[in-house]
Amino acid sequence: MNRFALLSLYRSLTRHKLYAALNVGGLAVGIAVFLVLGLYARFETSYEKWLPRHDRIYVVQTAWNLPESPFNGAYPYTMGGLLDQMREDFPGTVGTRIRGGKNGGAVIRGGVAAPADVAQVDPQFFDVFDLPMVRGSGMALRQPANVLISKTLARQYFGTSDPIGQTLTIAMDKTANYRVAGIFRDLPKNSDYNISLLVPMPAAPPSEQWFHWGSTSLQTFLRFDTPEAARAFEQKLPSFVDRRALADMGKDASKIHQLKLLPLTRMHLEPAGSASASAKITVITLGIVGLLTLLVAIVNYVNLATARANLRAREVAMRKVLGADRLALVRQFLGEAMFTVGIAALIGLILAELSLPLVNAAGGLSLTIPYALVVPALVVLTLIVGLLAGFYPALLLSRFPAASVLASARSPGGGRVGTRVREGLVVLQFGLAIAFMVGTGVLVAQTRHVRQSDLGFQRDGLMVLLSTRDSLISSAQNRAVVSAIRDLPSVRTVAIGNNAVGGSGENNADNVPLPGVAGDGPSLRWIVTGPDFFKVYGTRLLAGRVFDDNHRDDDALSRQLEQGRNIVINRRAVSTLGFRSPEDAVGKTIGGNRPRTIIGVVEDMRFFSPREPTSASYYIYYREPERATTAVASIRFTGNPRETMDAVRAIWQRAVPQVPFEAETADTQLTKFYEADDRATRLFAIGAGLAVLIGCVGLWGLASYNTQMRIKEIGIRKTLGASSRDIARLLVGQFLRPVLLANLLAWPLAFVAMRTWLAGFDDRVALSPLFFIGGSLLATVIAVLTVLGQSLRASRAAPAWALRHE
Amino acid sequence: MLMIRLENIQRRYVSDEVETTALRDIDLEVAAGEFLAIMGPSGCGKSTLLNTLGTVDRPTGGRYMFGDQDLAAMGEKDLAKFRGSTLGFVFQSFNLIDELTIEENVALGLAYRANGGDRRARVSAAMDKVGIAHRARHFPHQLSGGQQQRAAIARAIVGDPKLILADEPTGNLDTANGEQVMNILQALNDEGATIVMVTHSPSHADMARRRIDMLDGRIVASAMRSI
Repeated sequence: MNRFALLSLYRSLTRHKLYAALNVGGLAVGIAVFLVLGLYARFETSYEKWLPRHDRIYVVQTAWNLPESPFNGAYPYTMGGLLDQMREDFPGTVGTRIRGGKNGGAVIRGGVAAPADVAQVDPQFFDVFDLPMVRGSGMALRQPANVLISKTLARQYFGTSDPIGQTLTIAMDKTANYRVAGIFRDLPKNSDYNISLLVPMPAAPPSEQWFHWGSTSLQTFLRFDTPEAARAFEQKLPSFVDRRALADMGKDASKIHQLKLLPLTRMHLEPAGSASASAKITVITLGIVGLLTLLVAIVNYVNLATARANLRAREVAMRKVLGADRLALVRQFLGEAMFTVGIAALIGLILAELSLPLVNAAGGLSLTIPYALVVPALVVLTLIVGLLAGFYPALLLSRFPAASVLASARSPGGGRVGTRVREGLVVLQFGLAIAFMVGTGVLVAQTRHVRQSDLGFQRDGLMVLLSTRDSLISSAQNRAVVSAIRDLPSVRTVAIGNNAVGGSGENNADNVPLPGVAGDGPSLRWIVTGPDFFKVYGTRLLAGRVFDDNHRDDDALSRQLEQGRNIVINRRAVSTLGFRSPEDAVGKTIGGNRPRTIIGVVEDMRFFSPREPTSASYYIYYREPERATTAVASIRFTGNPRETMDAVRAIWQRAVPQVPFEAETADTQLTKFYEADDRATRLFAIGAGLAVLIGCVGLWGLASYNTQMRIKEIGIRKTLGASSRDIARLLVGQFLRPVLLANLLAWPLAFVAMRTWLAGFDDRVALSPLFFIGGSLLATVIAVLTVLGQSLRASRAAPAWALRHE
Repeated sequence: MLMIRLENIQRRYVSDEVETTALRDIDLEVAAGEFLAIMGPSGCGKSTLLNTLGTVDRPTGGRYMFGDQDLAAMGEKDLAKFRGSTLGFVFQSFNLIDELTIEENVALGLAYRANGGDRRARVSAAMDKVGIAHRARHFPHQLSGGQQQRAAIARAIVGDPKLILADEPTGNLDTANGEQVMNILQALNDEGATIVMVTHSPSHADMARRRIDMLDGRIVASAMRSI
């Protein structure tokens, strides 16, 4: 590029300021969206990859092959003693267990317990998870009374004094003193594990179910040096299961209960149960949105740049007349294109950097730009886009015979082919934009729906006290605390059960044999309820009655299993058990040699994620529900949740200070289930909105180009009597056609994508045609508004001026 | 019968710093059925005057009466309607729309009229009249200059205008084609059309019945052709 080339580039950018700003800005925004969403996708796929030798670590999954059961699917949890049995049967097995984690225990300081992220691990933990240490070594876990703590916790507990050798009182199963033997670096954000204290797994099994096949209580990890070794090991597992589970599960246990190995790094995007597909889809979708936004921006830029170049045909011709050869012109155009794209890339990087704090806030993330990776990527992008944008004008325009361009009154417009291509690109762009708009509509509707939909219980004014489940609290204390809470003025009712909204940590299911039907019968979730349970939740009764102390047989604890129990089932269980209607179920006895008589049917209650189907369930009744293993209290209150929460906390800390207080409103519990989708929706909406914006910039630029190309025609039409309105209609109409055509592309795309996404939800909105019509209408309105301004301006111009215009 | 009366028409262009006066104190009357030629050197205001007559340029002062209509007082929308129903334009550079065929270009002359009658018949009649019917399906760039100008004339007359305004209609044509175009205009005038034509060619100006000469935005001479 010589001086004049630079000068003419600079002049053309400053002369068409708005055009330059929009064109470069559009590409920059596209690059920024791509960068941010790319970083998000990279972050989501980077979980546990910070660990040394992460590719050799496998988590053992328990896979239930029980199509009818609420627990069908693979879970990354195993029986407590699985690793012990594996070590016996397969000498040389390298593995560890993690028991606990987030709020897994408590640290007691000054007599008050505070929840802490305690995990019990095998002494060989560091053979698998080689956590980077700040002080000390992982070998310390081989001493039973040692604890390793995270750097942050060390600073929090011990400030500037030396933590090593200090004593910590930790409660997990039981309370004991530990000696701080080392400090490990905090686990990074891209880890699913919350661990700040590591203590050795006790030598004696900490629970009765430790070796009970079918139970799951912790996570088991194995290390293999090659994928082949892992596969070979996995193939030995069915016979291992058959052999070891024989006592608890009978013959051929591996038919319904399998053990599988999942690479640790895949666990984040393939979580347990019914949510497994959704996390991956979300990341993929957002990655695609980023990619498509970049594509739209590139298409746009190339489209506009080439269109504009046509307007410079005369300049090219003049340069040729003055002696420029083709190579010089090709160099000039390519150089110009690269230069402008480079500017756009730089602005895009700045935009991404500026918007990251906002995105991090909106998405609860902590993304940063890895410059060592991003800068080379942007250089490559600049070269590619610059080539695309500069290639056409460079080659085509430099080939035009100068004389004919100079002699003709009209610039070469790339002819009909050029127009077609450009129209095609507008169709592509708007197709994606409409699909994005439809998608945003559906996502927003769905995320709003799950917050408002009928869960089968009243979600406002409900609180769950989880601390009562702690094994350190006695039944008497439990009763005393609950009765004190019941006496609070803002509390209406309190009920204890072994489940609550958001879950209690305990999940049970068993098979219910049906009379006259062979086999074990369907698997139903069962839940222990105490007095007032259905009253607290405001559960609707569909048929029969709920538990009642006047019916002495209702209390399950007062009867032997063989004597039979009274149960209440939920709506979903009605069909699972083969009854025609709730009324039909009432009074029937099911359950084979452990007879259960249905006394009532209640509405389904959605305690968990809207993605999970509500399970077919039955409820049993304890007059003294404190005696359940996992007793949690559900509290119905009125007024300000914070005040009630404070009052409940005060009661708790007075009565049982040694057990950490843990309570949450139903709203908070449920929000946890919605968060990931809310975040994805926000990111999607931002990406989609910007993609639409870029599309509009492109349309605007094309409209301005086209209007310019047609100024003479407009003049002719006006002399022939066309009114301003006729002209505006003509120009707008020209752009409406591709926008309308774009619907044909957008609708199937959006339909397939949204149906797939919604399929991940059990509780979901219908995919109404209104979303599609709305998206298209919005796109059309936006398109019309975008081109209307210039069309009106062009249509108002005096025809005499237009006719002189060349 | 008087068709047009211009009274004291002014046209000033104001750009950033320069003010140019294109028309000064123009008084002009054109009778129905007249064939008026406007001559003068480049920049004297001929085209501006013609554009003013055609309402595609608005005067900055004075009165423009067309019949009993005061065009200076009319809004853009009414002017567009007026042009569509009353005027026909012929340009030096033809100004055919490149993407439309000759037939479609001619039909465009009816596109903005409320009542076009039998459009197809009128289009082919207009094309017949200027001898271009055999080129109906061609695009402008496939035609010679003379043929393009004849097509442009067909477009101007297809709506049966009261007034035809021609801006150097032979300026881009060779002598033979120029003669042909002039003959068509002459014939149209003989049939009763009113024509105002800007030209540089004295011989073509002589074919008009009246001729005015302009200089620096004023009419400096007016002459009737002796019949």
